[in-house]
Amino acid sequence: MRTSIFALAPLASAASAARFILHIPNTPLVNPSSLLSTTHATLQSSGAPLDSYITRSNSFNFNNVSVGSYLATIHSRDYAFEPLRIDVTLEEVVEGSGDQREKVAAWQTFIGNEWDNKGESRGEGGNGLVIEAQPRIPKVYYQERAGFSPLSFLKNPMILMGLFTLIMVFGMPYLMDNMDPETKAEFEEMQKKGVMGSGNTNTAQQIQNFDLASWMAGKTDTPPSGTSPAPQSQGKKRG
Amino acid sequence: MRVNAALAFAVCLAPAAAIFQDDAYHIDFHYALLGYPKSEATFFHKPYAASKASLLYTVSENGTIGAINPKDGALVWRSDRGISGNGHLRAGEDQDMVISAVGNRIAAWSASDGRIVWEHSIDGAIAEDLEILEQEDGISNSDAKDAIVLVAHGSSGVKRLDGKTGRVKWTFDDTSGDIPFQTSSSPTTIYYISLHSPLLGGGSKIRVTSLSPITGKKLDSYTLSSEGEVYTKENILFAGANTAAPILAWTDKAHKVLKVNIIGTKGVSIFNTPTSESIESIILHAPRKVNSLPHFLAEYQTATGHSAEVYHVDLKTNAVSQAYKLPPLKGRGTFATSTTDANVYFTRITSDEVSVVASVTDGVLGKWAVNGSPSLTGAYPVHGVAEVVVKGNSASAIRSAALFSNGQWALIRNSEIAWNRPEFLSGTISAVWAQLPEEESLAQQLEEEHHQDVFSAYIHRVQRHLRDLEHFPAWLQNLPNRILGSVTGQSDSSTIEEIQHDTFGFHKLVISATEKGRLSALDVGSQGKIVWSIDLHQFAPGAAITRPSLKAFRGFVEVKDPSLTSPLFINSTTGSQVFSEQAHNQWLPSLDQETLVTYKLSEGELQGFLGTEPTTQPVWIFTPPPGEKIVRYTARPAKDPVASIGKVLGDRRVLYKYLNPNLVLVTAVAEAGRRASVYLVDSASGQLLHAASHYGVDVSRSIPSTFSENWFSYSLTLDSASKASRGHQLVVSELFESPLPDDRGPLGDSANSSTVLPTGEAAKPHVISQSFQIPEEISHMTVTQTRQGITSRELIVTLPSSNSIVGIPRGVIDPRRPVGRDATAQEQSEGLVKYAPMILFDPKWHLNHEYEVAGIKNVITSESGLESTSLVFAYGKDIFGTRVAPSFTFDVLGNGFNKKQMLLTVAALFVGVLFVAPLVRRKQINSLWTVPQ
Repeated sequence: MRTSIFALAPLASAASAARFILHIPNTPLVNPSSLLSTTHATLQSSGAPLDSYITRSNSFNFNNVSVGSYLATIHSRDYAFEPLRIDVTLEEVVEGSGDQREKVAAWQTFIGNEWDNKGESRGEGGNGLVIEAQPRIPKVYYQERAGFSPLSFLKNPMILMGLFTLIMVFGMPYLMDNMDPETKAEFEEMQKKGVMGSGNTNTAQQIQNFDLASWMAGKTDTPPSGTSPAPQSQGKKRG
Repeated sequence: MRVNAALAFAVCLAPAAAIFQDDAYHIDFHYALLGYPKSEATFFHKPYAASKASLLYTVSENGTIGAINPKDGALVWRSDRGISGNGHLRAGEDQDMVISAVGNRIAAWSASDGRIVWEHSIDGAIAEDLEILEQEDGISNSDAKDAIVLVAHGSSGVKRLDGKTGRVKWTFDDTSGDIPFQTSSSPTTIYYISLHSPLLGGGSKIRVTSLSPITGKKLDSYTLSSEGEVYTKENILFAGANTAAPILAWTDKAHKVLKVNIIGTKGVSIFNTPTSESIESIILHAPRKVNSLPHFLAEYQTATGHSAEVYHVDLKTNAVSQAYKLPPLKGRGTFATSTTDANVYFTRITSDEVSVVASVTDGVLGKWAVNGSPSLTGAYPVHGVAEVVVKGNSASAIRSAALFSNGQWALIRNSEIAWNRPEFLSGTISAVWAQLPEEESLAQQLEEEHHQDVFSAYIHRVQRHLRDLEHFPAWLQNLPNRILGSVTGQSDSSTIEEIQHDTFGFHKLVISATEKGRLSALDVGSQGKIVWSIDLHQFAPGAAITRPSLKAFRGFVEVKDPSLTSPLFINSTTGSQVFSEQAHNQWLPSLDQETLVTYKLSEGELQGFLGTEPTTQPVWIFTPPPGEKIVRYTARPAKDPVASIGKVLGDRRVLYKYLNPNLVLVTAVAEAGRRASVYLVDSASGQLLHAASHYGVDVSRSIPSTFSENWFSYSLTLDSASKASRGHQLVVSELFESPLPDDRGPLGDSANSSTVLPTGEAAKPHVISQSFQIPEEISHMTVTQTRQGITSRELIVTLPSSNSIVGIPRGVIDPRRPVGRDATAQEQSEGLVKYAPMILFDPKWHLNHEYEVAGIKNVITSESGLESTSLVFAYGKDIFGTRVAPSFTFDVLGNGFNKKQMLLTVAALFVGVLFVAPLVRRKQINSLWTVPQ
């Protein structure tokens, strides 16, 4: 029984042997003529995969492909290609005529997905179908060495925070000194009111400690909240 | 789009170290090999008609077609390994393609880049010979020239293939039952030469059939009476291809006479060969070019030397005459033919001299003494090709590519060896790591000290240090150079040679054996330098070594082969033979101390035996279920250091690893149900610990597997019947003592446990598995090794279809990756990320980066002197070596550390201190003298 099947197998494959071409189009990403001669495509179904190397016309020729569903992968050193699903079937030309022809159909497929989960169609037709195979991304094998650059050094948040504190500690007193007296007074007034600095918490505290009685009594003084601007007084002393 | 997203994802979760641009080509090496070039199919040829430089084309003994740049010996392109070793390669004059016939596949390759122009495969036969039809009716065809193919081994006949498309123009079928031998073409006729054996045994007649080039119809046929001399094809020396006057030459068994026939005529000229010494072989050299002078050279090889005679063919009278003799020389040598216009030159290549003579007269046009190269010492040229530049009456320049007897393919440019390619390394089938002599001796000394009592050990140690002092002056002298080199970043070139200064332990020797019985030692740390190379046959005369297997011992390797009666022992540092008694004295497995269990596969079951050699009485037998066939077994490596016995979880609890040194992973397949099963067997007790089955697997493809620490992995190819998904799978399983953290399983705290006498289900591990979809088939896998096992491991897989070797970080294939949900903060702190069903091989994981490593059979790894780094060596058709640091090089300053910048910073700080010091001093004094207000 088994021998008869084996005897029939070559006959069947000879009777239904499709041929098609996988072609790499010229895209902005890659000029296919620059691909290495080791670029090749494999058709995997059962047993050893069918293998075809790139030709001068940037294509892979597959002859004598028997009926089945194949996973087509293009292996290139420099680019990653999308995997394809290629189905070779026998279909009657005219229904009921018994005259069968090969039909080749190609779709996108996704690794790690169900086989029936087909993507976009990549072509369909009879023998000699040309299927376009798209390169997706160039392969980058090397890791960039993170060399020393002052900019990346400055981008570090810790360094930025340190620098900011440094500026505040040393820079502010000088800034205060160089202000003309009027602005300075205004600024101090503003700080007292709590617009600058920790203004928000100040307002919150003000609301919390709101002295209704004194307000009713018509007191106009700002309440002596605990946040007297300490750095300001220090700065004054130094100057 | 989805692919992009997935790739981006894969990049995100790849914490492993990739190769840096400045490390590539320095820390790794690659021998892109072809194999031994075949003499009749090696030639210089211009890749296109207008090209100024020519390339060197060849088809090797394993059927690989390749082009070499004759300038530096670099590979320009090569084909895949052929389906058979019987390859032919021809190039038509001024053609931009070369045509090959390997097995039943005839292909035309673009000569400059190796792309396929056309392909044709013969059904049910093998190509026996291939010729290019240079001229048709005396007119040279400038377009693609047609190929004439002789097919045999099945249906015999001659085919003419169109040079542009590869389509068959005509076929001549030979039904006479003759043995096809060769084809040859003259401007007007195609000759088909076959051996006609009479029914009553004896020798064969040579039958020459002439065919019409246009129709393929038989024009004429005649036989030459060669019964006395020709028995097999080997007796025919030459059947001239594409010469103006194709010749056919044969000799008798004793090489006493040389018979020459001009194809197309029936006359046979008979010459007596030199009688001074018995001739071992005769080789004919004739030009291949159509319009060259019809001169040829007969080379006579004797046991001690070689000589040659030059013959001229008179086209008008169809007579062959001897023109002159070249003097006999001692030692081996070979001849090469080259042509310039119509002139023919013969180049004589010996191991120490290259000389050129014109075919017309015997005056020597040029002679160069060859400067020897260490890689070619003791070797002689076997065959070669040459290109000669002749100005006036002297040869001004010559380059000849010759295959030497030690397997080096070298190009001799005038008197220099321009390059040599170690083609003998192609087809390596076994390789082991060996230690270098310095380390060896130190290890021995230390061991000696270890075994002595304290006092004598101390004396021994002092003596050793005193002895070491003699290297001190040289070391001191070298020190400035080394420091300077290290600062300027040019350290590599100087220190690579100095294996003694190998502080990092990168210089490890690999001993490799090829299927031709050649044993070589390569230093992986210094770009794969060949330290020594020997032919094993010199130690075992009469043996035909085809499948050597190696085993490393301290200081020597053991070579075993089916054709060897007893194993050979070879010193791993010098390549000399160590006699077995000596070897056994140096190292003996301490049999009495520990009990060994060996196991082997026999009659479909795995059998375990007590002792070092399989006996008749197996201790245990592992039989797979009926219908299943064991295809492979993988054991945990003997040297597999484990840094931690548990895995610390994010919440500081511990999962204890199941660490058993005797684990064996058995892979079995069953045709029915397309099932692949893996069984985890304890090799001490033979107990089955774990089993898993996969259905819908293509069982005809290989299932590689590997084992390390407490985890194993294997890879499967899914069958086309599988509806769920297609492609290839990688399965990773990890073994723990218990599913619960902080629990050591049923054994608990018991101090002793035995796998041979287990208590119930006690010893079974808790197995966590995950499978991943991978885009390519894996042919081999292994795991990196480091000294202490602290560094995280990397799974090294070989991808045959993309000619690469990929190191997959352990974190990516961790079976504890959470499925269907994002990793919690605790899991993230362990480095776990959400499970994704596929792993796309990030290009940054490729250890081979831009090299294309073809035909890799096996990858071996070894520890280096640094904990962070593991050495990797891959062999097969190509040889590749590198080093990997899966957790980055945390214990050594890499190239990224800028020593110059560091020195400059120190200098700048020093200058700054010089400036600031007086200021500070003044301020201090001021602060002391000023009165505080």
